[in-house]
Amino acid sequence: MSNAKRVLILGLGNDLLTDDAVGLHVARVAGARLAGEPGVVVRETMEMGLALLDEIVGFDGLVIVDSIQTGQAPVGQIHEFDMAALACRRISTPHFLGVAETLALGNRLGLGMPGNVWIVAVEVADPFTLATQMTSAVEQAVDAAATRAIERAHGFMMHPSLAPALTT
Amino acid sequence: MNPATQEVWNEAQKRAVAAAHAERRRVTIDPITRLEGHGKIDILLDGAGDVEHAYLQIPELRGFEVFSLGRPAEDMPQITSRICGVCPTAHHMAATKALDDLYQVEPTPTARKIRELVYNAFVFEDHALHVYILGGPDFIVGPQAPAAERNIVGVIGKVGVEVAKQVIAMRRRVRELISYFGGKVIHPVLGLPGGVAKGLNPADLPKFKQLAKEALDFALFTNQVFHDLVLKNPDYVNLITSDTFTHRTCYMGLVDSANKMNFYDGQIRVVDAKGKEYAKFAAQRYREFVAEHVEPWSYMKFCYIKPLGWQGFTEGPKSSVYAVAPLARLNAADGMATPCAQRACDEFFSTLGGKPVHHTLANHWARVVEIIQAAETMVALLDDPGITGTDIRTIPSKKPTVGVGVVEAPRGTLFHHYETDERGLITKANLIVATQNNAARIAMSVEKAAKGLIKKRNVSEGLLNMVEMAFRAYDPCFGCATHSLPGHLPLRVNIYGEDRRLVRQLVQE
Repeated sequence: MSNAKRVLILGLGNDLLTDDAVGLHVARVAGARLAGEPGVVVRETMEMGLALLDEIVGFDGLVIVDSIQTGQAPVGQIHEFDMAALACRRISTPHFLGVAETLALGNRLGLGMPGNVWIVAVEVADPFTLATQMTSAVEQAVDAAATRAIERAHGFMMHPSLAPALTT
Repeated sequence: MNPATQEVWNEAQKRAVAAAHAERRRVTIDPITRLEGHGKIDILLDGAGDVEHAYLQIPELRGFEVFSLGRPAEDMPQITSRICGVCPTAHHMAATKALDDLYQVEPTPTARKIRELVYNAFVFEDHALHVYILGGPDFIVGPQAPAAERNIVGVIGKVGVEVAKQVIAMRRRVRELISYFGGKVIHPVLGLPGGVAKGLNPADLPKFKQLAKEALDFALFTNQVFHDLVLKNPDYVNLITSDTFTHRTCYMGLVDSANKMNFYDGQIRVVDAKGKEYAKFAAQRYREFVAEHVEPWSYMKFCYIKPLGWQGFTEGPKSSVYAVAPLARLNAADGMATPCAQRACDEFFSTLGGKPVHHTLANHWARVVEIIQAAETMVALLDDPGITGTDIRTIPSKKPTVGVGVVEAPRGTLFHHYETDERGLITKANLIVATQNNAARIAMSVEKAAKGLIKKRNVSEGLLNMVEMAFRAYDPCFGCATHSLPGHLPLRVNIYGEDRRLVRQLVQE
């Protein structure tokens, strides 16, 4: 594709872990709405850490959709932030790279990482119980989260400065 | 378990969870990292300001048994591999082997070879990731390096961009081998009771042979990197062998018929704190040897060697605590199953004072030894003409009842246990994952590290990293706890005075 920007909306989560599936559901809704639209690719993945490298290499922009549990916001609230909020940190998880670390690794290796990254995250109640039904408040947030992800993706396609403002 | 025992067990579990929740509510949480799923260490000081106890709390997966009930047993290799994004292939293989047992069917020789090939490829890839990227900051960059450098970028600074690229490329290619047989790594569809779903086309053999050869070269190169960057540094070696990171416990691991280490199959061998064989048993007998202890302060269950009884978090000759994972496997076996790995293993034990080695941080070196065996096994299997056979499944014909499967996951022994009705629908399911097996020893490691570093209320600035190192060496899997953003597990240390009021909190993001 010539000079047109390519943006990836990447839904993360686990469809067996109750609310942890929300990123996958949001990506599914966004994908249906964007069907056939050039320039935006929508993917879902249950993998994490380093495996994300395989998904995101080669895109100009990246919108990650995931669950988050801050405990400070009502369940279903949508958080949005950029990569600065997930700065490259010391690995405190024994077996994972965080999203920021994965991007830092890709950049350091010259793998063609997205220049613009945005995160849309839905506050969840329970990402630990094995079940396939999300809690109601999380389910109700899916449409709005998909809207936010699409708006941000469109903003990235035009120009980063035109992307919607932070609304957390 | 009889109903009365089950009731007592459940009640104890309920109290432990309630206590843990009450404790968590009481803690002041930093607003930036206030995650329900954080790792937490509570340190309780005595009147002199020294450490009385230190507890590690981690979230746990909930509801596995309920979720499994009534599902076809054949679904378990897919379901369990999706539970955790870290060990999908280990769960898939343990579940597949449990199905073999459930239907009393042996996989064909070719099917077994394919399973072993895929499994060793998985161990190779997973271990390489840990050595370079996850454990790397501790040793390749160094435990005393500034916190800002102790990350993946710091590792690249030490080993060079080209080596880092090689790590990433090798990992991707090995994953392609796994995907060739099983589809997506996270959704493998390889294992079936009695065999596998896909064979190896002879036309594809040369590229995989080449890959295995390069994997072995890479494994030997990794061994050299570990020598150059770690073993030649006396400070690191002193750290590895320091008392702070040493526990004299029992060890468990799978061994083959010659008592050599095996990732995929064999008998489970337990050696005591002196390295003497205490037990060797088939997976089906695991409940005779493994029991779980519940403490009121934790929602973790602590495994111990059942016939020895729960002796507390103790080490030495009377300890019933055991470890799994690379160091434990090397201690539990009489040696490695392949020649280069055996040489590396000999050097490991001669350098560290002979068998058994009790230094937790030696897990990192043991992991390197195991990478070599995994790669050599890949080479050997692909050189075996039987690997391209077409008889890849024995169709089960017997009625299912009970099935137990075991593998050595990269981070330790993994048990899957299913019971079904005659239609093959699950009536009971139980997993014992590596981190559960290691839980008691991890708890001991955390407490010992804390006791070594905190004296008279003075908290060493290096506390967080040193305590983290104590449990990171086990490569514990908190996969289900770390899926939500930020994608890693923030660690919080709460220090309580003798009146049990919070006196200090440290947060490691």
